[in-house]
Amino acid sequence: MSTVEGHAEGKDEILELIRRSLPPGKFKEVVPTRWPRRYIVFIDAWAIRPVMEALKAAGFDRFVAIEAIDWYNIEPVFELLYYVESVKLGGPLVIVRTKIPRNNPEIDTIRDIYPLAHWQEIENYEFFGIRFRGHPDLRLWILEDNWEGPPPLRKDFDTVKYVLETYYGGKKWERPVKRREPPPPRGEE
Amino acid sequence: MAEGKPRMIFLGPQHPGAPGNVAFKVWLKGEKVVKAELVPGFLHRGFEKMMENRWWEVDVVLSPRYCVEDPDNFELAYVLAVEDLFGVEAPEKARIVRTIVAEMSRIQSHLFWLMHMGGATGARYIPAWAMAAREEILRWYDYVTGHRIYHHYMTPGGIRWNVPKDFKEVTLKTLNRVMPMVKDIEDAFVNNRILRARTEGIGVIKGYVAVQLNATGPTLRAAGIKYDVRKVDPYEAYGDVDFEIPTGTEGDAHDRIVVRIREIYQSKHIIEQLVERVKPDDLNYRVKMPLLPPPTLPWPAVARHGEGMSRVEAARGEAMVHVVGIKDRKPYRVKLITPSMPLLTTVMDYIIEHEDVTIADLPIIVMSLDPCPPDIDR
Amino acid sequence: MALKALLLGMKYLFKRPYTMLVPEKEPPMTTEKTRGRHLLDMSKCVGCRMCQMVCPADAIKMYKVEGDFKQNPKKIFPGIDFNRCTFCALCVEVCPTGALSMTDITGWYMTTTDTRTNLRSPYDLAAELAKNEKPDFRVTITKQTFLYQTKKRG
Ligand code: SF4
Ligand code: SF4
Repeated sequence: MSTVEGHAEGKDEILELIRRSLPPGKFKEVVPTRWPRRYIVFIDAWAIRPVMEALKAAGFDRFVAIEAIDWYNIEPVFELLYYVESVKLGGPLVIVRTKIPRNNPEIDTIRDIYPLAHWQEIENYEFFGIRFRGHPDLRLWILEDNWEGPPPLRKDFDTVKYVLETYYGGKKWERPVKRREPPPPRGEE
Repeated sequence: MAEGKPRMIFLGPQHPGAPGNVAFKVWLKGEKVVKAELVPGFLHRGFEKMMENRWWEVDVVLSPRYCVEDPDNFELAYVLAVEDLFGVEAPEKARIVRTIVAEMSRIQSHLFWLMHMGGATGARYIPAWAMAAREEILRWYDYVTGHRIYHHYMTPGGIRWNVPKDFKEVTLKTLNRVMPMVKDIEDAFVNNRILRARTEGIGVIKGYVAVQLNATGPTLRAAGIKYDVRKVDPYEAYGDVDFEIPTGTEGDAHDRIVVRIREIYQSKHIIEQLVERVKPDDLNYRVKMPLLPPPTLPWPAVARHGEGMSRVEAARGEAMVHVVGIKDRKPYRVKLITPSMPLLTTVMDYIIEHEDVTIADLPIIVMSLDPCPPDIDR
Repeated sequence: MALKALLLGMKYLFKRPYTMLVPEKEPPMTTEKTRGRHLLDMSKCVGCRMCQMVCPADAIKMYKVEGDFKQNPKKIFPGIDFNRCTFCALCVEVCPTGALSMTDITGWYMTTTDTRTNLRSPYDLAAELAKNEKPDFRVTITKQTFLYQTKKRG
């Protein structure tokens, strides 16, 4: 495991490449991490589209995931982490980190840059309630038909309590069978 | 019916051609599939939230449970991430044994998938041999780790129990019983003319387009891209073993079968190299973990403290785990990044858009991608 | 090609099947390490609730048992709900006194109503373990072995 210092000593071509190819003024910082060949780019939320486009042009072609962290007590923000890796350059990984306010979680969509982002954005919408501006299809997808509460992965929301009260009649051990109304008949789609 | 509006039907979640707990809304025009939309969520259990409510070392029990077929690679991913966060390095013996266990998991996952593939193509009895071969591996697991499916054998800091005295002999014996069966399956099933006619030229994703679709794992390799996390970012004992990355040329369903079969042979090769280095008498296989993770600096000085990350090549592709720890007995956030989502969304959409997929081909295409739907839901 | 497949098929036709006739003919398959039903040594348990706290499946409830237990002033003992238990053995690992251990009794043997094989209460199991050199079951892991291993490593 190489350290930050040890890693920064040698000339790191991929780090240089990322620095060179990102649009100037649109990112805050590019740092190597203590993991070899993994880099972090700190940006402001408004710059997500140009930065991702530049990364894609620089060869970071495989989009991996979007992660959201709810820094509820520590700072009222959601931190978003976009993982992109490069098959072309032989496997380096870039994590683009940005933060958006917790009371108005909105960010531009990147679904047209990376196709998988479309589904990852839906997932983050349903689990964290983050709205992706320009995404046409934000809906409950994994939680469809199973969930009526607020976004479940937020820190201020006690999922266990809510589930027990809503679905299990407040009981933890014996579960009453609750029959749900059959859904209204659907027309042909 | 051929003209007019496409008709929507459900495929799954209990259809034999559906790969487990997932459904598709399929729009049909005649028997041609116009569009298929994934309906996940049948097995959503909220792992990420559950893990936030349990202790670091207890979460190992949860970490493999979102993929039945290939549990150990995901367990390894979680364990590595926690070790990374705590700054603990497992002893060498533990690293070797964990690699062997993970490779066995890859073999049994591919064997299990062969059975599914046989189900989708209508070959019923030959892939039952794959289940027999898998049974041998499950018995090996029972002997080594104590359980058959979910092993909980790894723990942050090493492995939980020592390996049995005759570990090497048992492992080699198991492989010697599994490999002839794999060979038989290869002869009777993979090179079978009927199967070739059924799978060749179907579900083609060839070349760089696989990367653009963000595909991963054997699907990516069958498309001809030599990319494997075990090589590009070696973890555990993969850095010092010798193995190859099998790749395909055509990128069709048959290529994906062939690539997986060749991966089984590579896994066997890896295990054979590593098993020589396991010394059952060596008791240095577990280091004690501190109770609390090292202190975290408040945001935004992140990424240097309080976070751990791992990247492994599971049987279905690249899996990552990212853990965030503030000074607490429980994780602050665990993110499980799993390989199946692109396979059933972007890749499927691409295939249906670019090929004449009929409803009879759809199960074959879905199965040849080998998704593990619970890891989409988590 | 087809002929080859047929010949291979014939080969497998005469092999012993991998399916097992549980419960009629064979017991559930276990090995020396199989983690199965728990065994509680009530003369050792101090009622510290560690096992309850660590259990990931929330399977352990503490029950009050009347009796002469000097080491356990609150007289509470863990009771395990095997419908919830994942048999992860974390409770065995964490128990500070080594009161909990695991046997290799699994599957059908754990839930059967057949009194020949049905598991007796932990008391009976412990009694059998005390008087028999070769009990019907194997005790797979105990805290002692774990402690021993840790001590050896220093
Ligand atoms: S951890 Fe051991 S001593 Fe403590 S209550 Fe449980 S069984 Fe008894
Ligand atoms: S084995 Fe695991 S799940 Fe079962 S009671 Fe013990 S800690 Fe709980």
